[in-house]
Amino acid sequence: MPSTKRYWQDLAQLDPSAEVVSRNANEFNAPLPIDQVLGDSTITGASTGRRDFLKFLGFSLSAATLAACETPVIKSIPYVTKPEDITPGVANWYASTYFDGDDFASVLVKTREGRPIMIKGNPRFGINRDPNLVNTSSINARINSSVVTLYDSERLQGPHKAGAASDWATADKAIAEGLAAAVASGKRAVLLSNTIISPSSKAAIAALSTKLGGKLEHVQYDTVSQAALTNANAKSFGQRMFPDYDLTQADVLVGIDADFLGGWGNATEYAWQYTSRRRPETVSAVRPMSRHWQFESRMSITGANADERIALKPSRLPLVALALYDAVAKGSGAAGTGAGSIDEHTDHAIQKCAEELLKAKGKSIVFSGSSDEGVQTVINGINALLGNYGTTIDVVNGTSFKQGDDAAVAQLVKDMNAGTVGALLIVGVNPAYSLPNAADFKEGLKKTALTVSFSGYADETASLCGWMVPDNHWLESWNDYSPKPGHYTTAQPTIRPLFDTRQWQESLLRWSGSTVNYHNFIQDNWRATMPTVAFTEVWNKGLHDGVHQAFTPVRTASAFAGDINAAAASARKSAEGAGAFELQLYTKDSIGNGLHANNPWLQEMPDPLTKVTWDNYVLMAPSDLLTTVGKKTFNDLYIGEQSPAYLLKVTVNGLTLELPAVPAPGMAPGAVAIALGYGRGENGERVGRAACLRNEDGTHAPVGKNAYVFSHWANGHLNYGAASATVEFTGNMYPLALTQTQMTDMDRHSVVKQTTFATWSEHKPHETYNHRHMLAVHADVNEDGVIDARDKVPTTEVDLWAEHPVAQVGHRWGMSIDLNGCIGCGACITACSIENNVPVVGKDEVRRSRDMHWLRLDRYYSSDMTHEKGKAEGKGKIERYLDMEVPSAQPKVVFMPVMCQHCNHAPCETVCPVAATTHSNEGLNQMAYNRCIGTRYCANNCPYKVRRFNWFNYVTEKFGQVNPAWDELGRMVLNPDVVVRSRGVIEKCSLCVQEIQATKLKAKKEGRPVRDGEVDCACESACGTGAIVFGDLNDPDSRISKLVKAERTYHALEEIGVQPNISYMAKVRNVEETEHHHA
Amino acid sequence: MTGAYAQADKALYSTGEKVFKGNCASCHKPDKDMTGPAIKGAKARWEGKGDIHAWVKNSTAVIKSGNAYANELFNKWNKSVMTPNAISDAEIDAVLYYADNFVAPVKPGGGGDVVEDTRKAGDDTYWQWLLIVVLLLAIVVLSLGGVKHQLGNAVLEKQGKQPEPERSIWGNFVQWAGRNKAWASVLGVLFVVWLVVLGWDWAINIGVYGGEEVAHYKPSQPIAFDHTLHAGKDNLAINCQYCHSGAEKSKHAGIPSPSVCMNCHKAVSEGTKTGTTEIAKIYAAVGWDGKEYSGTPRPLVWNKVHNLPDHVYFSHAQHVAVGKLECQKCHGPIDTEMTVAEQWAPLTMGWCIQCHGETEVKVAGSGNGYYEEIHRRLVETPMGNRELREFLEDEKITVKELGGWECAKCHY
Repeated sequence: MPSTKRYWQDLAQLDPSAEVVSRNANEFNAPLPIDQVLGDSTITGASTGRRDFLKFLGFSLSAATLAACETPVIKSIPYVTKPEDITPGVANWYASTYFDGDDFASVLVKTREGRPIMIKGNPRFGINRDPNLVNTSSINARINSSVVTLYDSERLQGPHKAGAASDWATADKAIAEGLAAAVASGKRAVLLSNTIISPSSKAAIAALSTKLGGKLEHVQYDTVSQAALTNANAKSFGQRMFPDYDLTQADVLVGIDADFLGGWGNATEYAWQYTSRRRPETVSAVRPMSRHWQFESRMSITGANADERIALKPSRLPLVALALYDAVAKGSGAAGTGAGSIDEHTDHAIQKCAEELLKAKGKSIVFSGSSDEGVQTVINGINALLGNYGTTIDVVNGTSFKQGDDAAVAQLVKDMNAGTVGALLIVGVNPAYSLPNAADFKEGLKKTALTVSFSGYADETASLCGWMVPDNHWLESWNDYSPKPGHYTTAQPTIRPLFDTRQWQESLLRWSGSTVNYHNFIQDNWRATMPTVAFTEVWNKGLHDGVHQAFTPVRTASAFAGDINAAAASARKSAEGAGAFELQLYTKDSIGNGLHANNPWLQEMPDPLTKVTWDNYVLMAPSDLLTTVGKKTFNDLYIGEQSPAYLLKVTVNGLTLELPAVPAPGMAPGAVAIALGYGRGENGERVGRAACLRNEDGTHAPVGKNAYVFSHWANGHLNYGAASATVEFTGNMYPLALTQTQMTDMDRHSVVKQTTFATWSEHKPHETYNHRHMLAVHADVNEDGVIDARDKVPTTEVDLWAEHPVAQVGHRWGMSIDLNGCIGCGACITACSIENNVPVVGKDEVRRSRDMHWLRLDRYYSSDMTHEKGKAEGKGKIERYLDMEVPSAQPKVVFMPVMCQHCNHAPCETVCPVAATTHSNEGLNQMAYNRCIGTRYCANNCPYKVRRFNWFNYVTEKFGQVNPAWDELGRMVLNPDVVVRSRGVIEKCSLCVQEIQATKLKAKKEGRPVRDGEVDCACESACGTGAIVFGDLNDPDSRISKLVKAERTYHALEEIGVQPNISYMAKVRNVEETEHHHA
Repeated sequence: MTGAYAQADKALYSTGEKVFKGNCASCHKPDKDMTGPAIKGAKARWEGKGDIHAWVKNSTAVIKSGNAYANELFNKWNKSVMTPNAISDAEIDAVLYYADNFVAPVKPGGGGDVVEDTRKAGDDTYWQWLLIVVLLLAIVVLSLGGVKHQLGNAVLEKQGKQPEPERSIWGNFVQWAGRNKAWASVLGVLFVVWLVVLGWDWAINIGVYGGEEVAHYKPSQPIAFDHTLHAGKDNLAINCQYCHSGAEKSKHAGIPSPSVCMNCHKAVSEGTKTGTTEIAKIYAAVGWDGKEYSGTPRPLVWNKVHNLPDHVYFSHAQHVAVGKLECQKCHGPIDTEMTVAEQWAPLTMGWCIQCHGETEVKVAGSGNGYYEEIHRRLVETPMGNRELREFLEDEKITVKELGGWECAKCHY
């Protein structure tokens, strides 16, 4: 039956008029006005015919094409008067010091043609260097990446009044008058700053205070406070200060919630001290390999390095301190605090820990990151019982770090709201962002007559201040620092201020009526405070070295005078009232407290443990997360390109944040953790290019969420946790960008190798933990008369190709990476990106696994399942592999830096159709970008997956928000010796070939062989723990040729026979069990 | 190719050539007068008048000794002093032998390798002969075609059929192509390939300046600075690195700051050719009013002559300080012929690696600790020994053999 349906095209069909009917009939037949056009007399009379038109078209096309082929004229402008110490094309290095209130390091700044382009630790001077290591010094990713913020176009470019541009003369006059008026009115005039360890800065503050009749108060505020520790020291030892720890003298280290290799204390110094006692080759009877215990909730990199790690909910950690005190007291014959039991496993661990501590009296340290003064006092008590003061801890000659006074900050906010503060100067801190009661602070700012911010950005606090008088970037500034008694360091400008900014100290001097510049002021201050016969010599040498050691204090013991029982009561109280979930706030190894959130290199640097970039998130034990989201298996929690994370709602005291959840093996069940430092610029403040991105429609897209809202005041201290939090699944998902989605090494013992100190020290044949991979060959190797599968030779002896001539001729560059020395800090990742112009690609690209890092830091958790165990349990192969993907609830962790392995038999080289990647006679796998046509065969064939493809031209507007190389100013940070790669080519680690070539040239010019440790490989010089060693394998005296012969040395994936020039050294944990052969 | 050269001792000739190019070529030509006299015949000219070896090694000493011929020469050549040469008697003999038996390259002004030029000349005649043969064959084919056509028509006429009409050569070709599609396609493909190759060869030279085959790049400059006046041996003969001081230290030789010009031009305010106009531009740049500096300099904007692509790393220091190359090796006769600086060498990768393939690196006995260490490793290890023997097959270790042809030596 035919269909009778009719389809209406428009309403006019309902009642067709004549016009509609004719129009529909001739729908596609509307007459073209040809006659009308051709009838135009101006056209027929035109002199340009159709053929002429085509000729012109053709001519102009070919002319344009040819003109485009011409090389443009390049201009060259020499200096009018060339500065004596600058040779274009040659880098200058200046010694300086980095200090931002938290991180401290003596550094060297590399400048090219007057532009700072690279920061590395000062390898010859400073407290952050291991004197036994060559060409390296300990810094972290925040310090070496800070060079890029110099070239941030969002920096304030001059003084501003109420948000509008002003000038210095007006500002100076108004602020000086405002200060005088505030003092005259009897109100408080306060300078709120981060910890100031600069003697001259303090003198500048004093100068202004003198001018104001001594009425200028200085309040120091540590964004992430350690005031509980310093206050406890005031009560225990009579001096409020952060102690000087010496980890090189410690046989036993116990960390209770203290991430001392990451974000706690002066971690750059502790890092090299820690690893100096972790190399099994250097141990002796008097200096055994250190034992490291860690009690914590969230797995920190410190916990990941620990020999014994016990995960507990935050509320249990004060009890650990008490129990440990009791156990140590028992062994020392002192009275205990009557601490109860925690649980059987923990009690046992504490008992064992205490026994070890008692064996290492005077040679141990117990750290605590607690925000409770009582807990810190108990810790002091333990250290005192162990006799550590005067040997490993010095509280007489302590450090100047962490001077923050929480009580004073709290009082200031109260007074501001009470209207009794007349003037507030703010430097180095961002309280409107980071205080728990930021709303009160903002309210108080409105009630303060004169508010002045020295911030370099119109950030959360500065944008609310009456005056913004921007400080120089630290690379444009003079300063001096004294982190420890007798130890002075200098900071010198390496570039003239890019904008109309002024050092805050100099501003204070102007307002105090002085006209002296801060450079001279520092010199005057040194002259006055360091009486010496040869000032010029001291100053010049101090400036050259970056360090002046005026005197070296002798370690001094102190008697503990704290009240243990009161402290124990306070500690016990802090452990009460725990809810279903307990929240802990922490600082990431990349972003820190949030001051550096605007740094794209840090945003793209993956977290060492979670491997997440560009976000903060809720860390939960996998088991807890499964319950929360209602899933069954660990694999349901997988986060990848197509698998977003579960979006959770975390509620604390009525405040909520929605954040994605990341399953964190090693997390204590019942604990959740969120990183601080994210969510900058939530209200659209211009806090720096990378911290607050813009959506396509121009709206703000802050990176992550601000978790400072969950911090609170407790007993007068800032507390970064919450005893009770509720966590719910929102039902939504959230994409996260991870650089590594795998958790375990799947029981493959050829990627990471590890063993125990007991095994290592017994000097069993190294096959026990570092077996050689064998291959059956067609020859009677074992001489049993038959050729069978038992006739095996090591894979290294089997070759498809002739031996590469690099073996003994000329140079053969190689690298050794000690997995025991690698603490996972990630400074090498950013150093590599800076040196080699590696682009930042942004969250979306990282999520698609298109991150461009030449060097990655693989993290492997241990799994409960092994092939051996699975076979014993009768599990099938697939089942075993599935189980092996799941990390243990409390896993062991290995960090493994992986870059191009520079294989002598490189699989990538043989598949390149255009010979864009070839082998050099110095053992380098070289990459010629201009030959590369982008087939990516090499990347497919690379067993280590270290080759990166430029999917886009990253120096375009599309990546302009994240890639510093996009804007005019940002690209000043690029290394001019390394080419910026374009779209469609592969790139990868070159072993810093530009530095190798430069060093060889230097040696040739000086007519001498290349010295060991002379080549400045970016990752090696950023690795202050000495885990990465680069050198010439053909030089028999080099460090590397000795290291490759060590028992621990192996090649990753040795069984495939690619013969890499990069070797690894197996990780050795200082645990008692011995291991069995597992091949 | 002359008989004299064919019979000559090639080794002596090439040694002479090398020593000549390294020491003498900036002032002398073997067969023509330049800054100094032609060397050809010098041995004969000096015969019986004095020791030519002493003269070459230290001419001033010979002049002072009162040698009549030496003084005659000195006066004849505008009293310009020949710089002392630290070369042996044997090397001087080789140079004289080279000059006496000198054969100019076929292409003038090349300064390149004799053998290569001969081959090029041979190639040209080969093409000429080929063209003649092709033309002759074409005539034969065409006439045969005509004969065939006539005969075919005759046959058709005999059979009483309509004769094939007269066609043009193109018409014939079209007809043939229509009948032999396979052959026509093959020819068509070959033709297209030929066009592509031609186009490629043309395109590859776009933007390449310098060298023999493309125009020398010679941009105009803000100041009419004359290299021959300042650096020419018969003029001021200022050492190149006095102004281009980066050449020994850095990757850039550098354009000198006007402040360097002022070292001399503070006193010299009038030039021989341009009077005060050009020197006044230096004064304007540094802000000098004849008495003092005004403090308001105005930087000079030069047009860069030698431009390497961004993806090439080239270091002057490597070539000048370590390789001890003469500037003229790559920059040509800038000190003698270029009144306006121009690009002389093509600066293509082919040109770079050609030199890397030929240039010898003195490894053993170089006195340079770096190369001595490389030599030690070559000699002392079995694998190195094998390499060394391979390297020395042509009796020298070249830059290429030490890795000068590897990508990452220049591209990173």
